Amino acid sequence: MMAPMRDDVWGWRSSRTALIGLALVAFAGFCIAPLLFLVAGAFALSGDLRYGDVPLLLDIRQRGLLSTTTVFGLGAAGVSTLVGAPLGFALARVTLPFKPLLRVALAAPALLPTYVVALAWTYLVAPIAGDWAYSVVSAIVVMTVVCYPLSMLATEVALRRVEPRLEEAALLVARRGAVLRRITLPLAAPAICAAALVIFVLAISEFGVPGVLRVRVFTTEVFTAFAALYDVRRATILALPLTAVSLVTAAAAAILILERTLTTRRGLAVGAPVAFDTWRRPALAIIVCVIVVAVLMPLAVLAVEAQRAASIVRAVQASQRAVINSLGLATIGATMVTAVATFLAYARVRAAHRTGTVADILMIFLFTVPSTVIGVGLIGLWNRAGPLGAFYGTAAMPVVGYLARFIPVATLAIAAAMRSVPVAHEEAAAVSGSGWFRTMTRIVLPQIRTGLLAAWTVSFILAFGEVGTTILVAPAGESTLPIRVYTMIANAPPGHVAALALFQSAVGLCPLMLLGGALASRDTT
Amino acid sequence: MTPPFLRVSGVTRRFAGSSGIHAVSLDLDPGECVVLVGPSGCGKTTLLRVIAGLDTPEEGEIWIEQQQVASAGRNRVSPGERGIGFVFQDLALWPHLTVREQLDFVLHATGRAKTDRPRRIGEVLDLFHVGSSLAGRYPHQLSGGEQQRVALARSVVGSPRLLLLDEPFSSLDPDLRVALRSELATLQRQLHVPTIYVTHDREDAAVLGDRTVFMRSGRIEISRGEVSP
Repeated sequence: MMAPMRDDVWGWRSSRTALIGLALVAFAGFCIAPLLFLVAGAFALSGDLRYGDVPLLLDIRQRGLLSTTTVFGLGAAGVSTLVGAPLGFALARVTLPFKPLLRVALAAPALLPTYVVALAWTYLVAPIAGDWAYSVVSAIVVMTVVCYPLSMLATEVALRRVEPRLEEAALLVARRGAVLRRITLPLAAPAICAAALVIFVLAISEFGVPGVLRVRVFTTEVFTAFAALYDVRRATILALPLTAVSLVTAAAAAILILERTLTTRRGLAVGAPVAFDTWRRPALAIIVCVIVVAVLMPLAVLAVEAQRAASIVRAVQASQRAVINSLGLATIGATMVTAVATFLAYARVRAAHRTGTVADILMIFLFTVPSTVIGVGLIGLWNRAGPLGAFYGTAAMPVVGYLARFIPVATLAIAAAMRSVPVAHEEAAAVSGSGWFRTMTRIVLPQIRTGLLAAWTVSFILAFGEVGTTILVAPAGESTLPIRVYTMIANAPPGHVAALALFQSAVGLCPLMLLGGALASRDTT
Repeated sequence: MTPPFLRVSGVTRRFAGSSGIHAVSLDLDPGECVVLVGPSGCGKTTLLRVIAGLDTPEEGEIWIEQQQVASAGRNRVSPGERGIGFVFQDLALWPHLTVREQLDFVLHATGRAKTDRPRRIGEVLDLFHVGSSLAGRYPHQLSGGEQQRVALARSVVGSPRLLLLDEPFSSLDPDLRVALRSELATLQRQLHVPTIYVTHDREDAAVLGDRTVFMRSGRIEISRGEVSP
């Protein structure tokens, strides 16, 4: 972690104070306030939560929910790690042709909307396996397709960050296998475990996959309680256990990641001494298989199904308003998310060690809060008389949802890039007479422009596919593409739904490919 | 005439954008301590890495005890089989292993019997004045001087036949540096392991070296004998 900058370099009267202050207010208003309102509301609604709601949380129906949610989360985390960690190892330690492109292709499923992958799964498996296609095991498989890239990227980064000297010191006395087992993997293990914990929380927070596959978990129950039964009290109380589990697991993941940063003192290593190039062919074969199964097959299934629609173009045209809404709202949302996150990331990177750790835990926790829980919190906070209520019910509410959901992940991503900018660069600008804002725009931000572009792209793709929050807060008559696809699954011809899902995937994957191409041209490994 | 313990013959290793080393030749006699002195970037560390087998020479040969361990473009003997103890400039202590585990890792890798390892670890820790209370600590729980001693202990615990020390005291304050240098000189005479010691500091050379070799721009400029005090 970087040393905190001395306060007297910029002073309280600089533009830094105003801009970071505004970013913190936005963060508190969009990300923190809905959850605080949710928790406070749960107590206020129940009157006596301890006695009044224990039956609701512990009856046999809820115990079944808890058990299914836990199995889903553990299964997704375990299988994603089993698939992702070896792929990350191959990317880090095996010389492969076209590695940057392979990395982008392997990472692509993480940015496909989850319910689109689930939809493809039903088209592919339901005709063969019947009801099994709608089981918790199926949900685990689909979630693995979406989540293994997290484990893969975490493993690759962790292995590339192992200080080469540590392996070289071991290579002087031991064989490569022993060095890998005793030195390399133990050093990478905390990051791999942290990724598994994050995947666990993302799975138990997931709404799209269990929703499409009709698997009853806490998130779908929260949605049903609110959207079908109009029972805000029930939705609010059912959201509490999920929120608590998210908080505890996020804290554990952040501590593991912190441990990792303590054990490394450098950036990504190039040319690791413990490489396994003899595994090149099997590694390449496995990678190609994964790309076929996780990326090409879902898209191919959707394409085949979409051909049954009279015309893909006509299907998209029929949802033109939703498409335009989605593109516009996702663009505005991603831009606002990136702007706020940039100043939050600066504050986090320049914060004292302990404050920074707490901020990391908070950001990971907020990223893993279930989308339906955020939706319920936003409704409680904004749906009221006064200025907030005047805003509620407008087409801007989905953007509020995007800000609430994606500011934390964008902050983590930009902070990771900003750590590479030495404090000394700012200090050099300061002593030469530059103000803070000019230093940011001329010295700091140009050095992390690729990170900013990546954060914007990821925010755009996530916002374009967001359904759990927007389905709750979008005003009547104002639909986004994900909402339209999700609601059409039950009552429109499959070909029509598949055509829209395919279009949505294409819009998500195009910027990823452009970003991947830009990064690949910079990647010399 | 006794053949040299180590022979580096016409070794070249180039790097894009930096000088590397060019046609370097160096002999090291049994029990001798050679001190390599030169400015930053002159190739001292590269030479140690090539001798250790962590890098491959593009030209030239390296012989240890009359066995060819590397030739042009090829490492014939892997680093782990060369019997070398190496202290890296940044020490490279494994952060997830305690002091005892660092030493045990080396002993296990060099085939020392499990029952014999605790005794050997105790011996070496005593030799480097590392108290037994420190044996269960992790590197980040040690002071700079203690970390330095552990790194030295780790380099000799496997009874290496050649010791390579890459500016091991560069990060220490002057008092500690003088004390450790003096201890190392005593130990070097006691262990009688042939040693190459890389430093910027000519005082190090005067205290530790049987011979001082000056490098500049990837080449050996002068090699002269000096009498150890």
